[in-house]
Amino acid sequence: MLNSVRFARNFGEYRVASLSKPSSHFRNLDFRRNCASRLTMEPKAEATQPHFRSGEMGFGLDEIHSLISGPPETGRNSFTALLELPPPQAVQLLVKEDFPAKHLPPPIFPSNIGLIDRASKRSFFASADNPPASNTILLASSSMKVEIVKQEPTDSQPHPNSASPAVSDQSPKSGKRKEREKKVKESNKKSKKVVANEASEDGGKKLPYVHVRARRGQATDSHSLAERARREKINARMKLLQELVPGCNKISGTAMVLDEIINHVQALQRQVEFLSMRLAAVNPRIDFNLDALLAAESGSSIDNDYMGMFTPTIWPEGQINGNRQLEYQQLWQGDELRQPGWSREEDTPNFITPETSHLSYDSSANSAPLHSSQLKMEL
Amino acid sequence: MKERMPNSSALMKQEFLKKWIKGLQIYSSFKKEMTIFERKKAIKLSADVAIASTRNASTHWSRALMSDVSTDDANHAAKIVVAQISGRKVEKYSSSKGLMMTCSNKILRRSRVASRCRRTRGVGTSVKARSIARKVVKNRTRVLKSLVPGGQEMDGVCLIKETLDYIASLRVQVDVMRHLAAAAERLDPPQRSIL
Repeated sequence: MLNSVRFARNFGEYRVASLSKPSSHFRNLDFRRNCASRLTMEPKAEATQPHFRSGEMGFGLDEIHSLISGPPETGRNSFTALLELPPPQAVQLLVKEDFPAKHLPPPIFPSNIGLIDRASKRSFFASADNPPASNTILLASSSMKVEIVKQEPTDSQPHPNSASPAVSDQSPKSGKRKEREKKVKESNKKSKKVVANEASEDGGKKLPYVHVRARRGQATDSHSLAERARREKINARMKLLQELVPGCNKISGTAMVLDEIINHVQALQRQVEFLSMRLAAVNPRIDFNLDALLAAESGSSIDNDYMGMFTPTIWPEGQINGNRQLEYQQLWQGDELRQPGWSREEDTPNFITPETSHLSYDSSANSAPLHSSQLKMEL
Repeated sequence: MKERMPNSSALMKQEFLKKWIKGLQIYSSFKKEMTIFERKKAIKLSADVAIASTRNASTHWSRALMSDVSTDDANHAAKIVVAQISGRKVEKYSSSKGLMMTCSNKILRRSRVASRCRRTRGVGTSVKARSIARKVVKNRTRVLKSLVPGGQEMDGVCLIKETLDYIASLRVQVDVMRHLAAAAERLDPPQRSIL
């Protein structure tokens, strides 16, 4: 179900108005703010599965991404790129008109009247005719201090897309918009436009307006539209989750994927417990002597960047471990050539043998790399 | 000297490690002799607070985690740890949203029940598989909510987003902890007669 086959529907056109750059914080639930782009998706040979790639997501998914795979693919699939926008961004998609219809049972997810109401407060309105050729999405996730500028290649011809209308669940959506949604024209045509109000009721925020068309044979009232939009949002995020959790890619169906996710979270939590027990068992004191740890790590591969900070952090606790430092220093110098004795079960990218640890250990500390000295200052 | 790639994952790990060590130092200054279980709790708590604070209270789960730790009255050190690590006032984390959410949740629940009655009456006995699947998904969502800190007050969309973030942070946490544990064990083989 999750395979976004539902996206392979005979969507009408989804057009998105240009929106201003959002300033909202991730904290807002109602993230989807403005996305200044019109996105298109490539036509899919197999109508069943649009290809979603995890790009970068607003709330720090560049870490996630580095965990999963290589550099993100942007521009190839605007949908996912949009989806991976930080929460403040709106998610918008375009759907090709002549996309083969393949109606699927809607994803099953607990739906709330309250949510529907909130979703329905999103505004829908007919946008301008032709989307600009390319747009830039500024993802300013202030919380994550990440700014990603994306260039969304837009085709003039709409491609088959699955669309998820921009959502702004910000509470001050007023009833005005709801009224507009109710003004839908009932028609027997394949598509139906929802005209929403252009003006934004609340002064500062420009709300995302999405031109939504109902699919053929679908209910056209505003509630189900909103519900469908919400479902699509959820499915899009589920796709991202699928990519994050190992082994979920092949599973189809919300229930199975959720199961895997639950297992994964439980496994991670159990690992944390176990590791903290392990650490507690290692030595009678819990203020770890990082100097010693650095020595132990010198022969093993560890991420270079965060190895460098081991050394500086010992200085604050130097008073406590003065004696041990000396003996570890000697031990460490002997350990320079030691091969990594332990292998990690997980495959982690970009691990480099920290030869720089030698340098950073220099007691004069003048050869310490820049950022480790910065850390030292911070501590 | 090897070139250091600026890597956001590594940055996060650094931040986490820093904060974690800070928390551990607080604990060790707080109490000199600790049993292994106390140590384990201290380690775990510092780690949790550290990983939550790397999010700077921008996500629900981090806020919920911090507020859980700080409202636990039995643990004074924990509160100090939270205050130190996060650098913010403890009260900020007690979710002001909590009350709002519970109120709105009640309304939502009532409306959900109403809609369900309405819907089942309309649908009849048509598609049983669908309703079963829906129930399964609902159950699993409930489980997921119980796993993610602060999950009870999240709706479907938010839950998934938070889960994403939470999983990523957990991975960072596990990674760093594993390295530290392995390094510490290499250096200092654990004594058998711990207990």
